[in-house]
Amino acid sequence: MKKNGRFMVGMVGVAAVVTYLAWTGVSEAMVYYLTPVELMQRVEADPTFHDVGVRVSGGVVAGTYQLAEGEHLHTFVVRDLVDEATTFAVEFRDALPPTFSDEAEVVLEGRLRSDGVFEATTLQTKCASRYEAAPEELAG
Amino acid sequence: MTLLGEFALWISLPVALWGMVLGFAGGRTQRGDLVLSAERSIYAVFGLLAIASAGIVAAFLGDRFEYWYVANYANRELELFYKITGLWAGQRGSLLFWALLLGFFSSIAVFTNRKKNREFMPYVAAVLQTVLAFFIVVLLFAEVNPFQRLDFTPANGRGLNPQLQNYWMVIHPPTLYLGFTSFTIPFAFAVSALLAGRLDARWIQLTRRWILTSWLFLSIGIVMGMRWAYLELGWGGYWFWDPVENASLLPWLTATAFLHSIQIQENRGMLKVWNMSLVLLTFLLTLFATFLTRAGLIESVHSFAENITIAMIFLGFMGAVLAASVVLILYRLPQLQSENQIESFVSRESAFLFNNLMLVGAAFSVMFGTMFPLISEAITGTEISVGPAFFQRVNFPIGLVLLALVGIGPVIAWRRATRKNLQRNFATPVVMGLVVAAALWSSGARHALALTTWGIGAFVLTIIVTEFWKGTRARARIEGEGYVLALFHLVTRNRRRWGGYIVHVGMVMLFMAFAGAAYNVDERFFMEPGDVVEVASPMGHTYELRHDGLSVNLANGQRNLLWQAIVTVSVSKDGEPQGLLTTEKRQYTTQDAGSPPMTEVGVKSYPLEDLYLILSELEDLPAAVSADSDAQGLYLQVLVKPLVGWIWFGCLILAAGTVVALWPSADRQRRASADSVEPAAEPAVVAD
Amino acid sequence: MTLYVGVALVAAAVLLFIMQPVVRGLHASLEREDDELTETEARKRVALLALRDVEYDFLAGKLDEQDYRSLKSELTAEALAALEADEAARASDGASSDPDVEEEIARIRDGLRSGVVCDDCGFTNEKGSRFCSACGHALADRVAR
Repeated sequence: MKKNGRFMVGMVGVAAVVTYLAWTGVSEAMVYYLTPVELMQRVEADPTFHDVGVRVSGGVVAGTYQLAEGEHLHTFVVRDLVDEATTFAVEFRDALPPTFSDEAEVVLEGRLRSDGVFEATTLQTKCASRYEAAPEELAG
Repeated sequence: MTLLGEFALWISLPVALWGMVLGFAGGRTQRGDLVLSAERSIYAVFGLLAIASAGIVAAFLGDRFEYWYVANYANRELELFYKITGLWAGQRGSLLFWALLLGFFSSIAVFTNRKKNREFMPYVAAVLQTVLAFFIVVLLFAEVNPFQRLDFTPANGRGLNPQLQNYWMVIHPPTLYLGFTSFTIPFAFAVSALLAGRLDARWIQLTRRWILTSWLFLSIGIVMGMRWAYLELGWGGYWFWDPVENASLLPWLTATAFLHSIQIQENRGMLKVWNMSLVLLTFLLTLFATFLTRAGLIESVHSFAENITIAMIFLGFMGAVLAASVVLILYRLPQLQSENQIESFVSRESAFLFNNLMLVGAAFSVMFGTMFPLISEAITGTEISVGPAFFQRVNFPIGLVLLALVGIGPVIAWRRATRKNLQRNFATPVVMGLVVAAALWSSGARHALALTTWGIGAFVLTIIVTEFWKGTRARARIEGEGYVLALFHLVTRNRRRWGGYIVHVGMVMLFMAFAGAAYNVDERFFMEPGDVVEVASPMGHTYELRHDGLSVNLANGQRNLLWQAIVTVSVSKDGEPQGLLTTEKRQYTTQDAGSPPMTEVGVKSYPLEDLYLILSELEDLPAAVSADSDAQGLYLQVLVKPLVGWIWFGCLILAAGTVVALWPSADRQRRASADSVEPAAEPAVVAD
Repeated sequence: MTLYVGVALVAAAVLLFIMQPVVRGLHASLEREDDELTETEARKRVALLALRDVEYDFLAGKLDEQDYRSLKSELTAEALAALEADEAARASDGASSDPDVEEEIARIRDGLRSGVVCDDCGFTNEKGSRFCSACGHALADRVAR
């Protein structure tokens, strides 16, 4: 049984190392994942929240996409998926993901500036096969 | 036809339930008539699901837009090809497709075992029918019926998103699903073995081959997904640690662990509980993967909208499967005792155990990171997610250890390795690894992780090549064969071992390719026609790119295209012309007027790197589209991606190795004399 | 109309197909086939395979002589045990033995029978060995059985 004892020690050791890596990994990569509504609430409650990096998921408001010419500056408005009245403007300076469209669902990473515009550092859009139109939208 | 399909789907449920009940009853009572009926019902369910699927395809082909599913994923102008493959374009159809494939594999399992493994088959049929019944229940009762009709008939459908109109959409889901669904078969055999109490060596042989086949499909499916992302979706990225991506990796990790630890059970009669658990867990994880995608509980670019009904049904079923598995294993615990112990820390058993530890550890941490948003929401009330940095931090060290083990495993001795054994077999490879790392260092590479990966990769490749070399030489000498023939015989006499080595070569290439990302080049230029830009690659080459003109096609609705703006770039490498590359912007009729155009990239692949061109912006889009020849200025993004080609090539090698390992040797048909008995003086290695 | 016909046909076909065994008393076999691998046979195979691997590894230069000899003795003993167990199982099953395997068994038995048992640790060494592969003790010239 002594041999098994040494193995247990070894395995526990490995598990400990992996746990440690996971722990530091979490603290390094951890970011709030909020809806626009939650983001607005937090910012109202705590103005310093403007400096916190967050992840937000929402929907692009159709017709709001614009490309500032020569500047690589994409702007559009994002709304909450549930409460469509809550919106904010987004600025994004990198290349748009190929899946981006006017009515896309997006996941942004960045911060909400004090001027109310969300400065996005990362932008992801949902796979195109995931949008399903409600029956009303299919009419006509 | 579609109505017939709908009917077929409905009656497949009672048939599946019938098969389930009769399978269990037949197994309990050992009544052959019940069992035969249960097995036949598997074929029947497959047939009915095939009719149902045909019904959906018929609806697409017939432009039957009164069907909600068809209206969402097709329109009249859609190419025939995409109408047919519309079956798996969305949530509902892909669920039916999943069930269809499950029925297919179940039929194969029953058919190939109609004359053997008979004690297992009653419960195998029963379990397969249970899983089939589950998916049919989901289809019929969770508001995801592909046959659902609207109250009216739209004049035209929404059409298929242009992004999905490429052959990847056609390849990736099926290959992935082939992997996922086929894991149900070894699961059924495992449960059957537990129920019937047949936990001996025969179960091992049976399960191993199925798991290896499923593993092959899953590996290909995952790499196909990576290739799709690389070419179409992610600006040259191929893995994003997205929740659904992670979920597809989990069963792959546990299946890989099983493929290794099962050898310990074969050789030493150990780890029986562990192996059984891995098989059950792998199946559970395939359910988890599809659950994650379909329930939409965790935000992912792959997940459908949140669907609580599906979530609840899936969670219920997964919970039941988990509970049943635990109970069964505990029930049979006495028969799953280990027959031996591990003798030494430095032995092949130990290396395999370590390999398992690493793989399962990786699986746990990936699962943890993926579920973190839900966990944090449950505990703190706020959703917190972890980005790619978490997964990289945990998995890169694990990956390096695994890579090293790939080299160590085959060469270290069973039971206990002596110092001589270690020195003899590892000295040269270690030196090779260090030499390669040093050579790369001296040529300017400084990225620690990449250098380590490539060094270890060289170590492993040296070991594998040496294995082949030593074996071929020994055989050639003793049998008096030429080297080529010797190699051929060597491999065919022990396909598992040599096939496994080939698979490892593929894996090493994949790892080394991943490390290449450390040296990605990303530059952006503004170019007018005639401009030439230069980009240096980390491999020491220089690419000269010249803007050869922007041409605009006005398609006016053909293939849903409004217009295309194509820039032609001539490419030279170190002064030598390489031909042309194009990259373009396209606007589709199915896009909203306000949407930005979509981009098609241009890629040239070389053995050591890929040249990746993206037309990122047109300087003056409206003018360009109206074919104003003065408005041809544009922003070109140029990426150089080192070693990416090794991913696809490595996958091919991996697949080839798996086929070799799976290939049935003629001896398998012969019975006791199959161990081609030869005098011990020859290095005759026995066929599997 | 054609729909009803189609539906009726499919339903009837399915029903007939799956009910026939129960109604007509057709049975699927639940017996183990004669030529299937039994537990003892599987053990025997694994043992022989391990022996072959050791031979092969030695000839390919992966094992040095000392390791080879000690491993071979160990594995040979195990293989013999597996062979005997399988034989016993076959005898009780009434199955016929394969001549090739018989030959193999005989060969291994002979090798062991003419080997030398170590005084110190009881290990069965190959014929002609002067030192015990397991413990190194000098061997007396004695036959095992």
